[in-house]
Order: sequence, then C-alpha cells, then structure tokens
Amino acid sequence: MKALAVSTTALAIGLASGAMAQDEGADCPVKVGVLHSLSGTMAISETTLKDTMEMLIEQQNEAGGLLGCEIEAVVVDPASDWPTFAARARDLLTQDEVDVIFGAWTSASRKAVLPVLEELNGLMFYPVQYEGEESSKNVFYTGAAPNQQAIPAADYMMNELGVERFALLGTDYVYPRTTNRILEAYLKDNGIAEEDIFVNYTPFGHSDWSTIVSDVVAMGATGQQVGVISTINGDANVGFYTELAAQGVDAFDLPVIAFSVGEEELSGLDTSNLVGHLAAWNYFQSADTEINDEWVAQWKDRMGDDAVTNDPMEAHYIGFNMWVNAVEEAGTTDVDAVREAMWGQEFPNLTGGTAVMNTNHHLSKPVLIGEITEDGQFDILEQTEEVPGDAWTDFLPESEVLTSDWQELECGMYNTETETCVQIQSNY
Amino acid sequence: MAQGFRERSFFARNPHVLIFLACLGVFTLAATLMSEAMGTGALSTSFTKILGQTLCLCLVAIAMDLVWGFCGILSLGHFAFFGLGGYMIGMWLMYERTRLIVEPSLAGAALPPTPQEISDAIAGQIFGVVGTSELPLVWSFAGSLPIQLALVVLVPGLLALVFGWLAFRSRVTGVYLSILTQAMTLALALYLFQNESGLRGNNGLSGLQNIPHAGGVSQAWISLWFLWGSALALALGYLLAAWIVSGKFGSVIRGIRDDETRVRFLGYPVEVYKLFVFTLTAVIAGIAGALYYPQAGIINPAELAPIASIYLAVWVAIGGRGRIWGAVLGAAAVSLVSNWFTGGGAPDIRLPGYTISWVNWWQVLLGLGFVLITIFAPKGLAGLVDLITQRRVPDRHGADAGPDQSALREAEEGR
Amino acid sequence: MTILMRRLLALVLVCAATMAPAQESADIQSILQENRALIEASSRRTIGPAIDALRESGLDRAPEVMRRWQERELYLREADGVFVFGEETDDGLRVIDIATGEVIGEGPDDGYEEMRPNAGIRGLIQAAMVQFRLQDENAAQRARALDAVARSPEPEHLDLLRTVILDEPDPALRARMERLERLLTVQFGQSDAERVAAIEGFRGDIAREVRAALTPVLATRRTVAPEDAPAEGNVARELEPGTDALPEAEAYQMLVSAGLAPERIDREARRAALVANIEDGEVGGIPVAELDDQEMRDRAYATLAQAGAVPPTTLEEDRADLMGGYAFRDIHIEPSAEVTDAAAATMESIELTLRLHQWLDLGLDALSLASIYFLAAIGLAITFGVMGVINMAHGEFIMLGAFTGWLVQLVVPNYTISIVVALPLAFVVAFAAGVALERLVIRHLYHRPLETLLATFGISIAIQQIVKNVFGSQAKPLTAPDWLAGSWVVNDIVSISFIRIAIFGLALVFLGLLLFILNRTRLGLEVRAVTQNPRMAASMGINPDRINMLTFGLGSGIAGIAGVAIGLFAQVTSELGQNYIVQSFMTVVVGGVGNIWGTLAGATLIGLLQKGIESANPSNTLAAQTYMILFVILFIQFRPRGIVALRGRAAEA
Repeated sequence: MKALAVSTTALAIGLASGAMAQDEGADCPVKVGVLHSLSGTMAISETTLKDTMEMLIEQQNEAGGLLGCEIEAVVVDPASDWPTFAARARDLLTQDEVDVIFGAWTSASRKAVLPVLEELNGLMFYPVQYEGEESSKNVFYTGAAPNQQAIPAADYMMNELGVERFALLGTDYVYPRTTNRILEAYLKDNGIAEEDIFVNYTPFGHSDWSTIVSDVVAMGATGQQVGVISTINGDANVGFYTELAAQGVDAFDLPVIAFSVGEEELSGLDTSNLVGHLAAWNYFQSADTEINDEWVAQWKDRMGDDAVTNDPMEAHYIGFNMWVNAVEEAGTTDVDAVREAMWGQEFPNLTGGTAVMNTNHHLSKPVLIGEITEDGQFDILEQTEEVPGDAWTDFLPESEVLTSDWQELECGMYNTETETCVQIQSNY
Repeated sequence: MAQGFRERSFFARNPHVLIFLACLGVFTLAATLMSEAMGTGALSTSFTKILGQTLCLCLVAIAMDLVWGFCGILSLGHFAFFGLGGYMIGMWLMYERTRLIVEPSLAGAALPPTPQEISDAIAGQIFGVVGTSELPLVWSFAGSLPIQLALVVLVPGLLALVFGWLAFRSRVTGVYLSILTQAMTLALALYLFQNESGLRGNNGLSGLQNIPHAGGVSQAWISLWFLWGSALALALGYLLAAWIVSGKFGSVIRGIRDDETRVRFLGYPVEVYKLFVFTLTAVIAGIAGALYYPQAGIINPAELAPIASIYLAVWVAIGGRGRIWGAVLGAAAVSLVSNWFTGGGAPDIRLPGYTISWVNWWQVLLGLGFVLITIFAPKGLAGLVDLITQRRVPDRHGADAGPDQSALREAEEGR
Repeated sequence: MTILMRRLLALVLVCAATMAPAQESADIQSILQENRALIEASSRRTIGPAIDALRESGLDRAPEVMRRWQERELYLREADGVFVFGEETDDGLRVIDIATGEVIGEGPDDGYEEMRPNAGIRGLIQAAMVQFRLQDENAAQRARALDAVARSPEPEHLDLLRTVILDEPDPALRARMERLERLLTVQFGQSDAERVAAIEGFRGDIAREVRAALTPVLATRRTVAPEDAPAEGNVARELEPGTDALPEAEAYQMLVSAGLAPERIDREARRAALVANIEDGEVGGIPVAELDDQEMRDRAYATLAQAGAVPPTTLEEDRADLMGGYAFRDIHIEPSAEVTDAAAATMESIELTLRLHQWLDLGLDALSLASIYFLAAIGLAITFGVMGVINMAHGEFIMLGAFTGWLVQLVVPNYTISIVVALPLAFVVAFAAGVALERLVIRHLYHRPLETLLATFGISIAIQQIVKNVFGSQAKPLTAPDWLAGSWVVNDIVSISFIRIAIFGLALVFLGLLLFILNRTRLGLEVRAVTQNPRMAASMGINPDRINMLTFGLGSGIAGIAGVAIGLFAQVTSELGQNYIVQSFMTVVVGGVGNIWGTLAGATLIGLLQKGIESANPSNTLAAQTYMILFVILFIQFRPRGIVALRGRAAEA
C-alpha cells in the first residue's frame, strides 16, 4: 500500500527540474507547484503554461534564484480530471510542501482546487480569463474578470461597430453562462431591448451550426446592425466560423467578437474564414513593445519558431514575477506574509503599462481588442488604460452590493449594504 | 431439489463470503492504521480517499455483476444510477453547507431573515455561477437530510423501475436492451448537462468533501470515516448479493440468463424477476454513488457519460462475471491500476525517437487488454484463480460463470 | 503573391483614374493635419468631423485618401507628423506622397505608424465615399458604392442614386440601383404617396433588405395618457394592461415613471422601511426578533403605515382602478398613417411567405442532418443490421476516415484532388481496419454478441487513444475545395451550404450502391445467405468466413468515407466518431434492423425530429438531443422492431 501511495506522487519527483536535492528542513529549495493538465482534453491548452512556468523558473534561477535558493518546479499532471485536480493540489501542499501553486485552467478545475487551498492555506495563481463572482483568500486571479474582457468588448461592439442587436453564443458551461448573464444585464442597462438579444448555448464540440447561424443572420431583418459575442469554446469554433463563411456573411456584415479564441487556438487552423473577426484579450502576441518582442523571441527560442504566445502565458509571466518580488519583499515564502506583500505589487505588462495587484486579488490590466489576420495573429485596434479587475460584477443585482477587499475588510465577499462579511471561505 | 443444501448454513455453502469479509476487515484495519488521521501518514489523505472510492466502485460492480453476470442483462446504465445517487446526496451537502454560511451572515442584518430570504440567499450562492438565483423545484427537499437520503434510494430505484418495466414488458432483450440502456444514460447525461435541469448543468455539484456540521474535523478523518462507511456498505452489499444468488431466486435468475424462454415456460414471471434485479441493483448503485461522490468532491454530468457504464461492464468482465468476488476483484484491480498509470506512477519508456508516457498510453493498454481477456479468458481474473487452485466450479445451479449462453445464435434459431 | 499583384494592378488603375492636379495637394495634407487627433484616436464616435472634412473639401485627392485610409494604407511619419500612403512590400514599406502619388521612399516600416480604422470607421468612410464612387467609371467601384448604400442607407443617398441611375450603362447594376432607390424611397421619400407606392411595390418580397427597410417605418413608442383625452399621433395599437403585450407590472411602472401613480412599495422597500423604523428593538410594536416571518413584517408595516410613518401600500384593486383611468398606446414614430398602414399591409403580405420559407429552410437543414446521420449509420446498418455484429468501434472507423482525409490534404495541397484521392483511400483504410478487426476479434465472438459489444468497445478506446497520442488532441482542419465552399442561396431565407448538398448526394449514392450490392450482386446474395443460415450457406459452397470478412469490411469502409464527409463540415478530432456512435445505433434500431430502407427511415425521422425540437427552443441545442433520445427510447418500447420491421423468417436472422 505504501508503495502505491508513494508512487502516485512519483510523477512529481520524476518531472521535477533536474535538481533532485531534497529539502534539508530549511526553506531551500523554494518549491513551485505547477498544476496544469499534461494529458486529457485540456492538455492542449495547459501544456504550454507548464512550459511557460518552467521557462520562467529557469530564468529566475539564472538571475540568482530566490532568497538565495534555487527554485524547483514540482510538475504534476491532474489529467484534465476535476477531482484529480483537488487530489494533486492536496499532494502538492501536504507531501511536496510547495510554497506556491501556479495552475488550473477551467473554472471547474479551479473550483475543485479551492477547498483544498483554503483548508490547507495554500497559495495559487490562476492565469485564465474567467467569469468572476469569486475572490478567495488563497488565490490570485491574474486572468481577466468579466469587466476586463466582456464589458469592454460589448462597449466596442456598441460604440465602434454600431451594433444594435446582439447574439450571445456560448458553449454550455459556467464561464459562458455567467459571462452572458452579466452581458445581458449590461446591454439592457445600455438601452438594448430584450428582444434584441439572442442567447444560445451549444454543447462542447458542437458541429451542426447551420440553423443557429441562420437564426443570427435573420436578426438583421430589422435593419439594425447585428453582432455576435462568442464564448464558444475550443473545437466548436471551427464549425462555427466555417458555417459563417458558407452562408456568405463576413466580418463586415456580422462581426464576431470572441473571448476564447487566441493565438494558440488559431495556430494550425485555416484562418481564412476568420479574418476580420475580433477577439478581446489582455494580451496579443502582436503587441508592439520591446519587452514583448524579447519575450516572444525567448519563447520561440525555447519552443521552436512555430510557437505562439498568448494571454494566459502573460498572466503567468506577470503572476510569477509579482510573486517573486513579493517573496523578496516579505523575506520569506510564508503564505500569509507573501499574500500581504502581494497587495499593491506592480509589474510591467508585456503590452505596455503596469499591472497592479489589487486587494481583491485581481489585477489591473489593459484590455485589447484585436482583429484576426490571415497569419493567425491579431491586429490590435484598441488598447484601453489599465482596468482594475472586479471580483463581483456591478451589473447583476445580487452581486452589485458585494465587494472584496482582503486588506481592509479581510473578506472576499463583503456586502456593502448590510456591511457584513457574507463569507470568508469560498463557496464552490 | 435444494433441500439438501438448506440444512447447511448460508456461510458454509458460500465460504467465499467469510473469506471476503475477513479480507475486507483486514484491509480496512490496515488502511486505518496507516492513515494520516492515525498519525503514521503512510497513506496520504488523497490516497485514503482513493481507497474509499475504490470500495464504492466495488459495490457498484457487485450490482453490475448481479444484473449482468447472474441475470444476463448487460445494462449500460448502471453508472447513471450511481451518479444519480451522488447527485441526491450532493444536493443536501451543498444546500446544508451553504445554509450554514448564509444564515449567520443574514443573522447579522437588521431584521431576522424570513425563510424565503434564507432560501433566496442559498439559491443565489449555489446558482449564482450558472446564471440563476432561484431555487429549482428539484431542490425542494434539499434542506432535509432524511429525505435526500431516501431519494438516494428512491430516484435511481424509480427510474430503473419505470425504465425496466417499459423495456422488459416489450420483451426488449440482448444487445437491443444494452443499446437502450445506453441511450437512457446518454439522455440523462445530456439532460443534466442542461442548465434547465436545475442541477448546475455542466458544473455539477462541487465542494462535496466539506461535510456540513463537521467543520472542525480534518479531511484526514473525514476520509477515514468514509472509508469505513464504504467498507461497511460493501460488506452489506456483498452479503445481500451472496444471499440473493445462493437461494432459489438465484437459480431462477441464472435460468433466465441461460434460457429465458424455458424459464418462462416453466411458469416463472420472468419480467418480474428481471425487473426486481434491475431495480435492486440500481438502488445498490445509487447507494454506492452517494458514498463515492462526497469522497471525490465533485459530481458533474460527465461522470454519467455512457462510457462510464461501459467501463463498469469492463471491470466486471475483467474480474470474472457470475462470481461476486470476481466483480469486486475486477473493479478494485482495474481502478487501482488505472489510478497508478494515470497518476504517473508507471515509469515512462524511452524509445529512440518517442517516449511512451503511460499517462497517455494506459488507455490503449486497457482497451487491448480488455479485448484479449474477452476472447481468451471469458472468465476473467477469477478464471485465473481457478487455474491456480485447480478448483472446478461445482455445477449445482447451472453454469456459474462464463459467457452467457442465452445469446447463442443457435439457441435463438431453435425457437 | 498573386493577390498582391492583382491588388497593385487595381491600385495603379484607380490611381490613374483619380490622379489629381498638383496645385491642390497642399490642402489635403492640411485637412488631415487639422483632424490628426481624431484620425489617430480612431474611434467611430468621434471620427465624423474628419470624414466630413475630407468629403466636403472638394479636393480631387480626397477620394483617394479616403480609399487608402479605409484600406489601411494611410501612415503617419513619426519623424515630422506628415501623413503618407504606404504599401506593404516584402521588405517593409513603399512610401507614397499623398498629394502627388509619387513613391518617395522604400524600406523598413520603422518610424511609420499605420492608421488602423476599425470596421465601424471603415463603414463610415465607405458611406461617405458613395458620392464619389457612384460616379466612378469603374463598374466595380460603383457596385461597392451600392453595397455601402445597402449597408447603411442615408437620406442623401436617395438623391445621389436618382441622379446617376439614368446614366448607368450596366444593366445589372442599374437594376440594383433601381431596387435600392425604391428601398430608400420607403424610408426617405419626399411625399407620402411616393413612399406608399414604393412600399406597396414590395408586397410579398421576403428579401431581408425589404424587411430591414420596412421595420424602421413601423417603429413605435409606448405612451400613456388619460383615457378621455384624444389620442395623439399615429396610433399603432391600443394596449390593455394585464395582457401579454403589456403585463400589469409594466403598465403600472409606466404610470409611475410618468408621475401619475405612487411608487409601488415592494417587499424589499418595505423591509428597508421597517429597518429604518426600528425603535428600541421594536417596529410598530412588534419585537424585531419576531420579524422573521413575512406575515409579521406585513403587520408591522401596516401598523407603521397607520401611524403615518411610512407610505401605505397600494392594493391590487386600487392599482387596477388607477390603470383603468388611462389609455396605453403604441404610437408610430412615423407620423403618416397612410405610410404605416401600407407598411403594415406589406409586412403582413410578407409574413406568410416568410413563414413558409423558414419552414422550408428548416426542412433543408433537417434533411441535411438526416443525411449525415444516414451516412454515419449506413455502415452500421450492414455490420449490425445485416450481420448482427455490434461494433462499438464503428465511430472510430468514421474518425479514421476523417484523419485519412486530413493526412491526404497534408500531402496533396490541391483540395479538389485531395478529396478525390481521400474518398477511396479512406474506404481502403477503414476497410482494412474492419477486416483486421473481424479476423482478429469478432470472428472469435460470433456466438457471443454481448461480448462482441465489449470487445469492440475495447478496440474503440484503444484506437481513439492511439490517434490522440500520435496526432495530438487539437482539432485538424479538413478543408473543402473552393467549389464546395459557398451556399446554394434560393433567397435570403432559404439557403444551404454546398458541402451539405454534397453530403446529401453522397448519402443517396451509397443508398443506391448498397441496395444494388445487396440485392443485385452475387456478393449480396451470398451475404444474405450467410446471415440467414450460415451452415446451409456453407453447404451450398459459400465460404462464410470470406463473406463475413468482406461484409464487415464493406460496412467499415463506408464508415471511412462518411468520415471524410463529416470531417468536411465539422472538425476532425479523435473524438469525432464517439459523437456519432450512439446516434448511429439508435438510427439503425429505430429504423429497423436488417434493412437499408429502415436505416434511411430512421435517419430521416431522427433528423426531422431533432431539427423540429431545436426550432421550438432555439436557445438550447442540448434539449433537442435529450428529447430526441427520450423519444427514441419510448418509440422502441412500442415498436421494438423499428419502423421498417421485417416479418417472417427474415426477422429471425
């Protein structure tokens, strides 16, 4: 039995970056857990984040490590399975005793890890755009909250493209559901009538798009400009854009702004049907700054010329560097001390400007709108000032009264109306 | 005819029951002593949970063996019942946990909350992530543990009863029935995937490992409690199954497996027998699920996908159909080995130019291994044990194990 | 490369056509400089003055500048802030003077900032360019102008169109102009009579642009006025509170916002009032601790209201009385009743035709879906239906076919040739896989159907995982040749993509082919003989082993071809087959086992049903699939042998 127990964590040791020196009870080496799926359906997205973390840790070690220690990556594979995320996180915190975890991709996997983190007081950096409505004491959210992606995108559609009727198309899971709910409320606040909003959810990997696309095209019969806000995930996008092209509508007639289509998703795709459609992110590889050029070059150097960078990678880049600075500031890797040092951490974005970690554990980041080009990259059309991430959206009645502030209020879900802390631990 | 055996006690006629119970007892004791809760830490908490989960899988495998190995119904829907059981208990776990969070927070308000306000607040918390904040109808009883516990039994039981009644009544048998049960599983999974089902759609229910009212107890202990609970349930389930198949009832269902028509001509109400076994095993599966998912922590519709039910059949087939301990053996072996491989326990094989990573290749191994077992060892791992012990199955109640003869083409042609 | 060349050529032509005299050149730069901040800000909301300045400048270079700007060829030289044209070349930028059109430099693009007008601005520029383009000598330019008019019609376009319409030499363009002129007249015509005539001219025309022109004419706003006051404006309809069109709460809210009724005090507001009136732990004489019940709260509020501390709640009857004193109306924004009546009548005339066409379109989609299900299931109809072998790996054969198509496209870049190569190759690959499966596995299990099911399932997960390990889990593109790219467009409502038509055709071909093979060939005869009575067949000199192998290979091979077809319109992933397997089995079972016609009936039924349910609830695709499966389950209870049930001896096989 013991042999089995040990062997389940053998991967951690097996994949650890060379340095096999076990800790001698002291703080050295500093251990960083990397909790991204390397197999299963999510591997395609998450493996690049594991590589990103390994590259960042290598670079930091070359620059002298942290607190005089080497940083050691403890890589585990939760295999795209949500309960396994929780189990691996527990192993990382109790057996490998890592100082911080960088990981998770889907909301479901994050929610699976949350209780473990809160129970064992771990620290995790979550790098992917998500639906918000959450602020855990033990998680720093370096991806976009809805107000850093969805709301600016809707503004862009309304103001810049003159869209008056909206189709909110999404894959049926929590991120599109919550995002579309927020968007619906926001659009209605902005004078879009209920009948001018069409919401549709399709299963993962949906391929039969003809009826849905016809329905959306038919929305144009009122003479108003129609636009699509797409939270369609993964493979289903291929069929969706193909059907758009087959029905002869281009980005000019029916602009689509997507939240889940990035460089990584476009690589290896025939992008001819997608040209001119839009995406909203906090980062595009085409960002024209010196640090970004350098970052892209380093990445291509390591991963090959075809490799692309994307938004969640930048989130890890910012998150890891902030954590390093916070640890140095705190002089320890102790979770509580590092958390306090994280508040107000600043680090330059790859797209220009400075990201700031707020006390609600969300970043202030600029929002970028880009147009898809033929080479699978994005032409950046708009870049906003830094927008502070909002844990609880202001556009839904039940969460508009909520706020999160771990510094002053020491609460992740604080009701400003009744002035009480609804809960300190998260509900998953 | 069975008179001669009746005189001997149930345990004497079924020595495997005592052996199994002893093994289970030793295993549970050992796992307890080695657990993190006991301070030795030889078994991590997450591994203790895996062991507990494995016991639940063994229980559902027993159910599968009853319905397939003994009664000849290849149901590809028993994992759906398993999942339903999990959903039922999960509803209470989520509701109660949320209530314990919400009530103190509302108590701080200027006016004491009305029941409606409490229910709204709970719904807001649970369903906020999926875009609604009303408590769906199916959650009406979620606040009551006894009712939800009853539903763990009733919901899978009733579904099985209605489905079985419809199917057996129209004499759907063999592979048709398998496909039909698979369709039922798919429909159920798709239904649960929808937000409108009121069970949080794709997200499912989560945070189930945090047991309400047990806030101060560490997960190490909770995992141990569930290990004990699962072991107890498995022991009882084993006893029940052994008792059922050892009596006359067992002979009849085996008869149905081997030649349904003949049993019917002998005057037995075949449909009633089949319906009983189908429903009973669905209930057992539901109970197993209710014990499993608090240990896994999450349940979502993907758990109910048709493939899960097929895996269940695979475990039983690998273990050895028609023998209760065979099913347990199969479920335990395959799920633990599977865990070892997918958990990265097996070392990668480095070939020139390609590295075989077992995390990815394990499925291939499992699939092919399964084909080989089906063709060359229809009795499964239990057949191996036979080889070693040179024990021949006494032919008291018709064939105990092996391929089910009812499906022989020649038998059908003979009609 | 060729696209670039062609673009350059077109550019040169246009340049030549619009080449401007040099003396005005200074001004165009200064107009741009005046609006530099706006152009750089590049926002649709603020860009208006800049575009107007260019359009109204009257400069000959203005159209050229607008065109280039719109095509993202306008650059700002960072060194001195001068606007230039730029054309991207292989090694940087060819810089062109905006005034003279002369190349003034070539080299790397450092130091030049590209102006990036977004799609909204590009639309505005195009609308502004209509006046130039309509008079352009180039027919393509005029066509683009018409597109812009159709996209964003503006009142001044009407006069523009009318001036050029008579001189238009191209008959097609002229017809388009005339139609556009009528469409514009509907909205912007001078006299009501003119507009009514135009509106009536569109009776029964279901084109989207017609409805797009008519809908704004029929736009309304909702008003409330005292009942006895005469109705003002062009009334569209009277509304009764408490109907679907105007729920009571909404009607009352209208009165509130018009200041005609007191604010409704809802539960939340009453709660707030109670909180505000807590005195010594009591509200209205009731202790706070007892206010955990709605009834007690209501009572406390009533006490407060009696004391005059809070406004009293309004009663249901009072509200109804109050609303009864007012008339709720939808008033047309368009003042002329004549015009709105005509528009409403025309819309009504369109409605029925429109509905019919929508059904027709849905029917086409359903047929297309049915043909996809048929294609996916037809191989199974042979292996399962005719031979009685449950092959859970059937979906993987479909997937193998799709991957074969993708691999062929990697090698053969020409999409047409690659499809022609891929179809037979996919058949061969899947045929081989099928024969191997039959020889290695299924042959041993002919008498154990349930175990065939499980064993082939093992094969299925193995194949799926191997493909995933070898090719990765990302979706692979399988691109259709250009001639299959578009759609067959009957009108704005009814259209279907060529790929789907091709799949439909393919399905028909296979239906015919299989019927031929099974009923008209020696092989078919032997297959039927072996499936009905293998020993008798064997004694007649037929080799059952060989026949089983060939039949199984045939069924699998067809699955491979289906894979190529499915891959063309969906995405090629290792899970592709898995998505079709349960549906395929249901198709065969519903249709009736052992019969190709049955499979056709099953596929048609399932396709129609799924699309039907989908159209009833368009925002939830999953529901359609769920209810379709439920229907199938129930259907089988009542017709266990499917739609086309075989009778007699054949049914026993």
